[in-house]
Amino acid sequence: MKALTLVVRAELFKAVRKRRSYVLAGLWWILLPLVTLILARVLQVNVTGSFLDEAGTTVTAILQGLASPFGLARVALTGPAFLNPSYFVIVVALLAAAFIGEEKSLSMWKTTLVAQPSRLAVLWGKIVAMMAIVGVLLLGAALSAVLAGTLAMSFLPTDFSGDWGGLAGLYLQQWAHLLALTLFASLLIFLVRNVALGIVTTFFLPPLLEGLYAVWRATVGFEPLNRVNALFQALELKRTMENLPRWFFTDNLYLPARSPATDLIGLFAGDAGSAEIRRELSQTPLASLFGGSLTLPHAGLVMAIYAAAFGLLLTVLFVRRDVE
Amino acid sequence: MPVIAANGLVKRYGRATAVDRLNLDIERGELVGFLGPNGAGKTTTLRMLAGLIRPSAGHAEILGHRVPGAGLRRVGTMIEEPSFYPYMSGRDNLRYAAMLHGSVPDSRIDEVLEFVRMENAGAKRVRAYSQGMRQRLGLARALLHRPDVLLLDEPTNGLDPVGIAEIRENLRAVAAEGVTVLVSSHILAEIEKLVGRVVAIERGRVLFDGPLHRLIDRIDERLVTVRLEAADPDALRSALQGLKREHTAVDAGRYRVRLSEAEVPALLRELQERGVDLLEVRREGEDLEGAYLALLREDGRPA
Repeated sequence: MKALTLVVRAELFKAVRKRRSYVLAGLWWILLPLVTLILARVLQVNVTGSFLDEAGTTVTAILQGLASPFGLARVALTGPAFLNPSYFVIVVALLAAAFIGEEKSLSMWKTTLVAQPSRLAVLWGKIVAMMAIVGVLLLGAALSAVLAGTLAMSFLPTDFSGDWGGLAGLYLQQWAHLLALTLFASLLIFLVRNVALGIVTTFFLPPLLEGLYAVWRATVGFEPLNRVNALFQALELKRTMENLPRWFFTDNLYLPARSPATDLIGLFAGDAGSAEIRRELSQTPLASLFGGSLTLPHAGLVMAIYAAAFGLLLTVLFVRRDVE
Repeated sequence: MPVIAANGLVKRYGRATAVDRLNLDIERGELVGFLGPNGAGKTTTLRMLAGLIRPSAGHAEILGHRVPGAGLRRVGTMIEEPSFYPYMSGRDNLRYAAMLHGSVPDSRIDEVLEFVRMENAGAKRVRAYSQGMRQRLGLARALLHRPDVLLLDEPTNGLDPVGIAEIRENLRAVAAEGVTVLVSSHILAEIEKLVGRVVAIERGRVLFDGPLHRLIDRIDERLVTVRLEAADPDALRSALQGLKREHTAVDAGRYRVRLSEAEVPALLRELQERGVDLLEVRREGEDLEGAYLALLREDGRPA
């Protein structure tokens, strides 16, 4: 435990000294609220009182949902999940490149592993440090959004209302879901022994696997009921197992972030509300984009299985592999 | 109890054997030279001792602990070219290593920087360091946690003569404090000036393990180098050619001949008989290089 603490401290020290770390945070913390506020202001100036706002309440509701302290914090969680590759993947892949890949490209393993011979501590110390940084980035995004939203209250008709508890829970869940992605990126970058190739693989391997799986599933499908499948069925695990490759980097990973997206879109539906929009969306091809029929506990289970699998594989390889 | 022990260490890469049943015992406070040509298995052995690669067979022990294990916490290493995080200063690189070791006070960073004469360069980023500065910072990092054992792989590689002398002095000072040092090199002159004991390896096997003077003495045909200067350099050259003695020109009029110690009087007599007036005969002395090359020849390697 002491060795793990030493490694976490050292890795965080290194991350703080790395100036490139701050660029990603700047983009996320400053640029996103800024763009959202500009959009909100444009909406307020151009649409208020127009035929789109006959009742006089639609724009106010949109501004509250989009540019209030709560709304901006929700956008700061939701927006990055809709980029392709997702901002979350970019952040985690770059962190894995800095913490795992850099050791190889700079020939630092021979130094790190002599200064701290416990390979378990070195590996998991790095993972803990990466997760801590991801946590700081998420927290920073939320705080900067709240700050920007508060400042925006001076020129927009917004206030502090919102389901803050629920949003905090989603942030926490998104952070936890990123553990599987962190381990996946670390595993790939460690395996391919090349930082650039590792990052590219992290971006594109999951969609490739998902695509291949979709083709295979469409052409062959799962075998009919047998005893093992029946057992899984009984435990309601079969569907989870089937969905592992299909939903790795899409629904499950982004579910906590994409879940509130339907609420955001619901704002534009006026009185119809988000419940109606959610129902409509679940019947369209876009369903998976917004989380489809998945539930957060289900997504949590899938990501936990992935985290365990990647973590185990990475640990075994890291502890056993020679350092050249 | 030996501080460093290798018991039948073997390392194979596919069909190639890099280290072949290597045995080694080094006692506390010894400063041992690890000799071998490129590809002899020196670095692979050091990496196994440092716990970076796993032996295919056999095992190593450091301070009585099997490698990898607790003994490695008392080891400082500089294996191949020292590497650093280039975006951090030298001092921050040391601080990072100190954090990994734990219980290394900040004052120790100043001490080791001063020891390697880098106290004024610690704040500079490593990417701006010269090769010599990197080597010295590497040594500083190896010494940071006051190790009992130092494993150094070609620590003077790429250094100018001044840098080499400085590293040599540093290592002597460290060994004088009771630190056990195993230092590899293929630069024989360096080893000759630094260590009292030599372990010579080739093709992963130990060819010789013992005091330096015994390596030189054990060669029956003790080789010496004689430098000759004659009043008539052409006469000297043709006489050496006539005697079928291999020779090299030192400069205009002076030649260097390598031969066994017992043959020197006969050579001088024969030159005199051929009418060569020698102005100077200087014995340059037996050297490690001659002994080492003979050792390699014994092992069947063309040297």
